[in-house]
Amino acid sequence: MDIEFSPALEAFRAEVCAFLETAPPDVREAGRKTTSVFAPFETVMAWQKILSEKGWAAPNWPVEYGGTGWSAEQKYIFNEEYARRRLPPLLPNGLKMVGPLLIELGSEEQKQKHLPGILNGDDYWTQGYSEPNAGSDLASLNCSAVRDGDHYIINGQKTWTTLAFKANRMFMLVRTSSEGKKQQGITFLLLDRVDYPGMEIRPIIGLDGKPEQCEVFFNDVRVPVSGRVGAENDGWSVAKSLLKHERGGLGDSAAMYARLELIRAAAQGTPSPFGGMMADDPTFHQAIGELEAEIASCAAYERMMVSGHPIAQDPAAPSITKVIGSELAQKVSTMMAKVSGVNALPVQSQALEVGSNTAMLTDDFDLIAMPYYLLSRATTIYAGSDEVQRDLIARSVLAQHR
Amino acid sequence: MDFTFNPEQDMLRDSLRKLLEQQYDFDTRQKIVNGPLGQADALWPEFTDMGLLALPLPENRGGFGGKPSDLVAIGELFGQFLVSAPYVGAVMLGAQVLALGGAAQAVLLERVLGGQAVVALAHEESHGVGRLEVLQTEVQEGSDGLVLSGEKRLVLAGSAADKLIVSARGAQGLMLVLVDPAAQGVKVTGYQTVDGRQAANIRFDQVAIASADVLPDADSDSLNRILDLTRLMLSAEAVGAMSALVQISAAYAATRKQFGQPIGNFQAIVHKLADMKIACTKSQAHLLNVTALADMGRAAPRDFALLKAQMGRLGRLVGETAIQLHGGIAMTDELNVGHYHKRILAIEAMLGNTEYQLRLAGAGG
Repeated sequence: MDIEFSPALEAFRAEVCAFLETAPPDVREAGRKTTSVFAPFETVMAWQKILSEKGWAAPNWPVEYGGTGWSAEQKYIFNEEYARRRLPPLLPNGLKMVGPLLIELGSEEQKQKHLPGILNGDDYWTQGYSEPNAGSDLASLNCSAVRDGDHYIINGQKTWTTLAFKANRMFMLVRTSSEGKKQQGITFLLLDRVDYPGMEIRPIIGLDGKPEQCEVFFNDVRVPVSGRVGAENDGWSVAKSLLKHERGGLGDSAAMYARLELIRAAAQGTPSPFGGMMADDPTFHQAIGELEAEIASCAAYERMMVSGHPIAQDPAAPSITKVIGSELAQKVSTMMAKVSGVNALPVQSQALEVGSNTAMLTDDFDLIAMPYYLLSRATTIYAGSDEVQRDLIARSVLAQHR
Repeated sequence: MDFTFNPEQDMLRDSLRKLLEQQYDFDTRQKIVNGPLGQADALWPEFTDMGLLALPLPENRGGFGGKPSDLVAIGELFGQFLVSAPYVGAVMLGAQVLALGGAAQAVLLERVLGGQAVVALAHEESHGVGRLEVLQTEVQEGSDGLVLSGEKRLVLAGSAADKLIVSARGAQGLMLVLVDPAAQGVKVTGYQTVDGRQAANIRFDQVAIASADVLPDADSDSLNRILDLTRLMLSAEAVGAMSALVQISAAYAATRKQFGQPIGNFQAIVHKLADMKIACTKSQAHLLNVTALADMGRAAPRDFALLKAQMGRLGRLVGETAIQLHGGIAMTDELNVGHYHKRILAIEAMLGNTEYQLRLAGAGG
């Protein structure tokens, strides 16, 4: 066994550190004020532009499309250094979802039209998958698209379209046939604008009191057929292919370690009702020890993924990764809110804006503790709820015995 | 980064697995464990021939200078086969601490490595954490020389040991002294642990210690390193037991029928199985990461503490879930499931339980 990085990789780390240190103050502030997967929009999109000029916006893309060509270990190091500095994560929809999908399955024309804007952050793509009656059972979606010459006419509703009110593009699943199995009548569409006549976007106010998710209504919306990826009625396999690009987990533990340090620091400054500081309280020691143990397990699992160890090649690995990462985020956010205590209760939406003139009441730990806790409840729900993931994990474990 | 076993380690695992499959299937194991005290060393000649006894010891002490990953490679199998032979007590603790000694202990060490003698480390006391700072056993200067007094608990391999090494507080700090279990003032009460190991509680009442039986240069750092390596070995056993439980439970859920169908069709069961698989995967990953750190000499005491804590937390989850998933049959001595759980429980309790390790790490230790 060997855990060292080569001198070349350590040199790479130094290069990454040097560049990340140049992140502008508002980007750092956005990182400190990130309370979900989705960092403050305008700042993070501007930061993506800077990263794409450096050539570092899409570590997972092939070089010919503007990727970095980094090895798994290089990506790991980049993620680690990025998260350690609490920089805001780039929004995943374009770079980690629709971009890689187009590279794999898009037409030449679609690639040329869309990839540059995805890479440099000019375009933000919202995801139109879920519907009010199609959540975990996504294949039961019924937002319909009917072919009319060179167009599809869309009618229906999408929901949980993240930041759709900020988006200028949308990728979506529509029903083009109700024949056969429900998975067989689905088509994958790219919308090159989100202001087609008949489209209406309504933000949904989340538990943090702010809009992040949206509903999108379609009323006889005519969109060009040229936006279709793959064949008509073959959208389910296209969507499944996209899922494999959505692999989460990598770099999460570095972000969690950074938050662990925030918690430790906060406990140093929080008096214990039993005397002394919270940081000196044995019950705190046990709780923070448990959290660190969980982060260490997750970090170890990430290393198995990076090094290609067989346990990370298990057929159930993507689901296991999802559950480990989502549950860990919830544990960390729960601990933050507990340590923050009553200081997490004031609603401070104004102070949470990047560049806000409204002073925060205490500090930025207390500022994010409650919104982060509340929004983290979604981690076990989105991208295939943890119950669905557990079904998949067990199916693979049982398959060897049936 | 590479967390896989090397070809030599794979070969060692293969031959150990073959040996255990041939000579130590569950029924045989149960016969051995349920036999009279002392029969638990049934595998000792084979382990000796395979070089396992010398594996962790330094080469200048007649050992093979094995790496932590060598030990983890065999430890997982010990857990998977519920090995009751006293490897942890006699090798990880006894032989390794004996090897800290000097020329005066060389003959005994040679006999230990040859499988002719067993030396047990009498270290744990009622705290059960193995922490040197809380030792109560003492060596004092009496009128006729050194005398040892105190009580040790859970002395693994201590019920049939030829010699004991006792940790104690002396005038200059930690002392390690060799004691003959038959010496006057020594009372050995042997027993079997819930997970099938032989152990003893041992009282020392004004036991005379010859100065030649004091291990020279006993230092806490060396002893702590051995204790941490033993925690790693116990963690490997825990992972072996957890992996076995996942397999056994999946096979059961796939075949056991109730309400006219395999219980593996029910989501309540399926999610328990998934929880077991997730916990087992986390444990394996955590173990391998700390093992690799230890191989590079970069594992800190807190790394072992956090690992041991996770084995306790996740192991308990896997074991208790396995019992629940099997239902009544898992409450019987006949099924192996309960024995795996008992192995996990014993590992959790040894050398500092979960809560202890978490507090230690949480306090910055």
